Amino acid sequence: MIQLKRLFKPVKNMDSEEAKAFIEEQKEGTFTILDVRQPGEYEEGHIPGSKLVPLPQLREALDELDPEHPTMVY
Amino acid sequence: MLSGLGFKEVYNLKGGMMAWDGLQASGPQELNMDLVRGDESPAEMVRLAYSLENGLQIFYRNIQKKTKIETIESLFIKLAQIEENHKKRLSELYGMIEPSGGDLESLGSDADGGMMEGGFNIEAFTRQNESFLDTPQLVIDLAMMLETQALDLYLRFSQKTENKDTEAVLFKLADEEKAHLALLGRWLDEKTEG
Repeated sequence: MIQLKRLFKPVKNMDSEEAKAFIEEQKEGTFTILDVRQPGEYEEGHIPGSKLVPLPQLREALDELDPEHPTMVY
Repeated sequence: MLSGLGFKEVYNLKGGMMAWDGLQASGPQELNMDLVRGDESPAEMVRLAYSLENGLQIFYRNIQKKTKIETIESLFIKLAQIEENHKKRLSELYGMIEPSGGDLESLGSDADGGMMEGGFNIEAFTRQNESFLDTPQLVIDLAMMLETQALDLYLRFSQKTENKDTEAVLFKLADEEKAHLALLGRWLDEKTEG
């Protein structure tokens, strides 16, 4: 039950303006922009510098991500 | 899910990509990734970046020579000058990293007929775009697209590199692209307001 609660811990929402300010404020290499959509959607258009990890593959790709870095997901 | 897996700060982009109104890059994640192996030294990466910047300058000069519109010609002269400044900063950086590495300018001249910033082929890109670049807004839009692709490519390179110093060089290159994009954004505002 505790584990389930942790999985659904709320995350902060950012609108587009807040997200742009977030990216501008961070130093390169200290944050992650994570694109969890499908490759075709990424190909059509993505935020520059995004790391593509489609949602179904997220658990397997966790070691490629730094949990210490602030992470913006879309 | 990430916050439940130990990620300290997780933010969700409300509305996802549909709601995003900032810069957008396009193309698959593997696009132009064959330009790097992943084990490049910082000096090798600066040489590659120099040749890409040089390629973009060649593209700008190609169009500048072909256009008959004076305002477009002067805009391309300004854009080519920005690339010249980029190249100068890369030469300085190369001199610091590789004091006995030789002359970057002669290395960069290899870009003739080759690749330009963002990973496009200079000749093909010139052919595809020269005929419709007839308003300042279109020119600036195109320049912003190229710089956005370049920013994305440098950051994707940084995800592939195994060398921390090379990664730092790529972050520096990405910062330069961001500064260039901010400048182009101001130009665009001036053109659309005027």
